[in-house]
Amino acid sequence: MDAFAAAPAAEGDRAIRFTGSWREYLPIAATNALLIICTLGIYRFWAAARQRRYLWSRTEFIDDSLEWTGTGKEMFFGFLIVVCVLAPFFLFFQFLFPALIARGKADAAFGIFTLFYIALIYLGGFARFRALRYRLSRTYWHGIRGGSDDPGWNYGGEYLGRIALSAMTMFIVFPWAATRLWNSRWNAMSFGPLQFKASLDAEGLKLRWALIYLVPMGAAALSAILFIGILGLGNHQVGSGPMAGLGVMFLVVILLFYIGIPLMTLNWYAAYYRKAASVTSLGELEFGFDATTLQWLGLFLGNLALAVVTLGFGLTYWGYRNWAFMVRHLHVYGHVDVSQMTQSTTHAPREAEGFADAFDVGAI
Amino acid sequence: MIEARLYDGVTAHPHDVRVNVVGDALQLTQDDWADSVGAALLKRIDGGGGSTLRLGRTDLPGWRLVLPVGADDELKPLLGREDKYGRWIDRIGLVPALITGGIITASVVAIGYLAPHWIAPHVPMSWERNVGGAIVGDFGDLRCRDAKGQQALEALVERVAPGATKGPTGIKVAALDVRMFNAAALPGGYIVVFKPAITETNSEALAGVLAHEVAHVRRRHVTESLIRELGIGALIRLFAGNVGANADQIVSLSYTSSNEAQADSDAIEMLERANIDPRPTAQLFQRLSKEAPEFSAAFLRSHPLSASRALNFAKSFDPQARYQPALSRDQGDALFDICRKLQ
Repeated sequence: MDAFAAAPAAEGDRAIRFTGSWREYLPIAATNALLIICTLGIYRFWAAARQRRYLWSRTEFIDDSLEWTGTGKEMFFGFLIVVCVLAPFFLFFQFLFPALIARGKADAAFGIFTLFYIALIYLGGFARFRALRYRLSRTYWHGIRGGSDDPGWNYGGEYLGRIALSAMTMFIVFPWAATRLWNSRWNAMSFGPLQFKASLDAEGLKLRWALIYLVPMGAAALSAILFIGILGLGNHQVGSGPMAGLGVMFLVVILLFYIGIPLMTLNWYAAYYRKAASVTSLGELEFGFDATTLQWLGLFLGNLALAVVTLGFGLTYWGYRNWAFMVRHLHVYGHVDVSQMTQSTTHAPREAEGFADAFDVGAI
Repeated sequence: MIEARLYDGVTAHPHDVRVNVVGDALQLTQDDWADSVGAALLKRIDGGGGSTLRLGRTDLPGWRLVLPVGADDELKPLLGREDKYGRWIDRIGLVPALITGGIITASVVAIGYLAPHWIAPHVPMSWERNVGGAIVGDFGDLRCRDAKGQQALEALVERVAPGATKGPTGIKVAALDVRMFNAAALPGGYIVVFKPAITETNSEALAGVLAHEVAHVRRRHVTESLIRELGIGALIRLFAGNVGANADQIVSLSYTSSNEAQADSDAIEMLERANIDPRPTAQLFQRLSKEAPEFSAAFLRSHPLSASRALNFAKSFDPQARYQPALSRDQGDALFDICRKLQ
């Protein structure tokens, strides 16, 4: 029959698999890097299209590989559109803002500054939505693509509102904002005739978010206790002992602060993506994602080490490594009825994810 | 005949079809169905993990024919070249593209380096006037205002560059009571001299230093280095009358070594024409390069001194010449006291 069982079983028998290898990708990485350098960076868009074409084609879902049909040309035009939209912002920050300040019109300067800042946040949310929509519309499987009929203007507004609210609470309610935004984004997307459905909430994510605040506070409290303790000892001791102890302690505190916060953030995002995948579905397909905080950390440290050891050439492998990581940790359960899966009727956007590129936000 | 899998782009349902090459078209057959696709409509698609050949149609977005990779040879005459690096690169080939791109990139970098030199002479001096004036104004009370001293300073500039201080775009020179050895050309034809450059040299050496700065002004080196350091936006900022850089940054703008060499050779010529002994300037440069660094650091940063620079001044000494003092004794005394405050 046409129904494909897609249950995850042992490795190699999974519904979604990554079959690429770094050796096979090397010629693409090398020529992309050379062409980017020799074209003053303009080739970047074509390089991204080649990279995706490779990565998608080496991603097997059930019985066939994915296919990327986006082109460098459309991404380049997307970029040009963004340049036109952002030009007024650039001109303002570069010339008008200092000129207004210099003429003593600080109120006007900061008023316009605030308005532009709000517009930039709105565009950031819009960009994120459009990037996801663009990627789905250029992703084919069995000759069927995804997409969305929502242009994303409303999503930009919702994004602005939720981010503003969480900023007002010093980001304490950010998990609430992030999970609602995930739902709004994915509920607007479809693949073929099937609608994505996401029902993410912050339940189970709040403690990890609290840790981002608690760990640095704990570190500060610990250091205060240590500080008092060492001062107390200092009364009875002579020499450099206490001072050296103090130095080491400060180092530990700084490390805790600068490593603790990013680590706790990573810890939160790891749980966020695991939960987000588990409550998102497409027709009768359900998803799972199993990357732990340590595995995420391994990915990032690996990326860094690779770039350092190869004197920067490793940067060309970041996209490859990130994609392979996502696919390897992604699980798909359930089944697809391929004869019921008709072509997507969504409008295929003509311009690419220039906005997301400009704002440096990922699609997922 | 080749066995292949067909997706029609309407549903995700795969169809097993047999493929034959008939003329310049592909004939697809199934038990009770047949279709023919002209070669012009076919396009190669990279994919399938290298183990399959994937064809699409330019007129039907989701239409895919997945063939075993062995079919490549049989179909080759029908298919165009594979899109490899993107059409604009494929058209000329990878190696020619890299070479052409490399040459263009190198030229753009070179133009970026040379452009300030070409643009600077065309920037109207009037744009810069306000900027230079504002910087001198920033020094406020540090500016030395003794009238006779100021006259002597201007006379010294006139001595090395007759007529330089006259006219609407004339050079404006100011002495500053700052305890650091420095002299600098500013935007808009301003030249500032810090006090030690006056009190711890003689007027011949100061004449050499001033001639050097006059050359920077006349050759528009200030504008050039402003554009070089602040980017092309410097032009718009100059026009707007606000460079967005503080006095300290402007005073320590650095010149390229070729600009320095040019200003030196101009200065040597000016001294020669003014009949001023170049040796004191040479000695000053030699002394400064050995001096305690904190004293002359600012000067050295914007005017990197080398033994050869001092030597060039020394070499221009003509034993036959009958050199004249740069300033009269009275002028010299007045100049020495230029930073004296009125009691």
